Amino acid sequence: MMKDPQRITLCGMGGQGIILSAVILGTAAVTRGKKYAVQTQSYGSEARGGQCQAELIIDSKPINSPVAQQKDLLLAMFQEAYEKYIDTLAPDGILVYDPDLVTSLIDHPCAHSFAVPATQIAVDLGNRMAANMVMLGFLSEALGMVSHEALVETVRENVSSRFVDLNLKAVAAGAAYAKEHSLTLS
Amino acid sequence: MPIVQADPKRVESGIHFTLGNYALVEGAITAGCDFFGGYPITPANEISEMMSKRLPQVGGKFMQGEDELCSIYACAGAALAGAKAMTATASAGFNYMQEGLGYCYTVEAPVVIANVQRCRGENYASQADVMQMRWGASGDYEAIVVCPASVQELYDYTIWAFNLAQEYRNPVIIMSETTIALMRERLDIPPAAQISLTNRRYTTLSPEEYMPFAAAPYGCPDAAPLGKGYHTIYSLNPHNEAGGIDWDPQEFDRLYRRITGKIRENSDQICRTERIMLDDAEYALVAYGSETRPAVEAAQMLREDGIKAGVLKLCNVWPVPERQIREAAREVRKLFAVEMNIGKYAGEIERVASGICGVSRITKNLGLIHTPTEIYQAVKEDLK
Repeated sequence: MMKDPQRITLCGMGGQGIILSAVILGTAAVTRGKKYAVQTQSYGSEARGGQCQAELIIDSKPINSPVAQQKDLLLAMFQEAYEKYIDTLAPDGILVYDPDLVTSLIDHPCAHSFAVPATQIAVDLGNRMAANMVMLGFLSEALGMVSHEALVETVRENVSSRFVDLNLKAVAAGAAYAKEHSLTLS
Repeated sequence: MPIVQADPKRVESGIHFTLGNYALVEGAITAGCDFFGGYPITPANEISEMMSKRLPQVGGKFMQGEDELCSIYACAGAALAGAKAMTATASAGFNYMQEGLGYCYTVEAPVVIANVQRCRGENYASQADVMQMRWGASGDYEAIVVCPASVQELYDYTIWAFNLAQEYRNPVIIMSETTIALMRERLDIPPAAQISLTNRRYTTLSPEEYMPFAAAPYGCPDAAPLGKGYHTIYSLNPHNEAGGIDWDPQEFDRLYRRITGKIRENSDQICRTERIMLDDAEYALVAYGSETRPAVEAAQMLREDGIKAGVLKLCNVWPVPERQIREAAREVRKLFAVEMNIGKYAGEIERVASGICGVSRITKNLGLIHTPTEIYQAVKEDLK
């Protein structure tokens, strides 16, 4: 179970649903968990070239500075984005990455490192676009970032009705992956 | 001024996780906004986008102008016709609005303008237009500029802005910033019954007796309903109390003493500040907008080092909360002016604190909000 404040960077390529993932986590934490959250993202020329990153802070009390210098969790879904943001991960932080898209790890100290083949799991479900939801299911199950119920309800409310079933299957698959491989913080 | 409760049909009560620009729109809808005219520009576009969806739902009108000038003049017209009118733009677009803004000051049109400051031609954070919001238009006038620091305050201060505009018949500027406009954060919207709104006061006189620009020396004139025979010329030219164009220097002087006096003499009613960890402080960080947030963390870090620091948060920058800044200056050894530009409002703080205590500047103009560590280190360096 991650402790508050949870300072998170989610990064990858444009189109992977990185920002939507951060929005869903924040929404679940605030509207279901009655917590506080701040979410920002890279805009402008800095974010171009295919990379995309969202920052999220979740806390049980109001949050002052919207930008955290060190992160407790880095979720990386693309090699170049991983290389750009790994330095911000605290030494006691957690790395979660997709091993098919982040293939070369840099020597950077962290407390836990989880490889989650989210894109392959999503492809097996029939749509690689659901990889972000696989990751959210994993984060809920393995790290307890938000409760499973809060996540499912928030996904239901925030994704297009055409894709709700696919996305919920992907969330379930991400949680199942954590359970099957006994991936957890404790 | 008539005070009413917010209309429950316009209030989305509850806990939300939403974008700053959307929170501002909800604040406007809650406040009774029924006209929006705007021209696209980042990072203010989500305001127009959401207004085009929300206003028709509550019986309001949305208009996309052909440019910024058209938008602000449309708002002036709507406001004079009785609407609670608003426009939104960003730094470069705000430049174009100055002529229309000057018109609004002169004819006392209560328009609300959201200026989402940006810099480097992109969506980078900035507070570099703090002086333009005060002095951008030509002529004599007093500006009211409120400075939200969070998504919650974008909602709360937008309601405040509409109320001030109605009360003083003056344009009110919401000084937003990329930092908070494009941030998602928790927004708690209370029940409508807990939200008070100010409506303008209408004349009780007949059209024959009504003097459109007559008011107490530091007051604002009562409005007249449009289309009921209260023929009024709303002219940028000098005008007398009857509304006639009048070039007499005494009339001109009286008009502008009142237009500026209605804000200056009511400064204490308008200005709001928050004192954070200030009561026992030896050093005060004075900040506004998003910069108050890292300033509070920096003060906490300084206290961990045994340096008693606090924050004076300016909820509005214009009119200058002089009394509160002066009080803080008397209580501490030194003030630190924190802002995200090359150092502009610091001059106002120096002016107010002059002869009372020293002021050091902590400024940054990189398109990025200060980190708490940067402010902390700047104070430590200064106190060496």
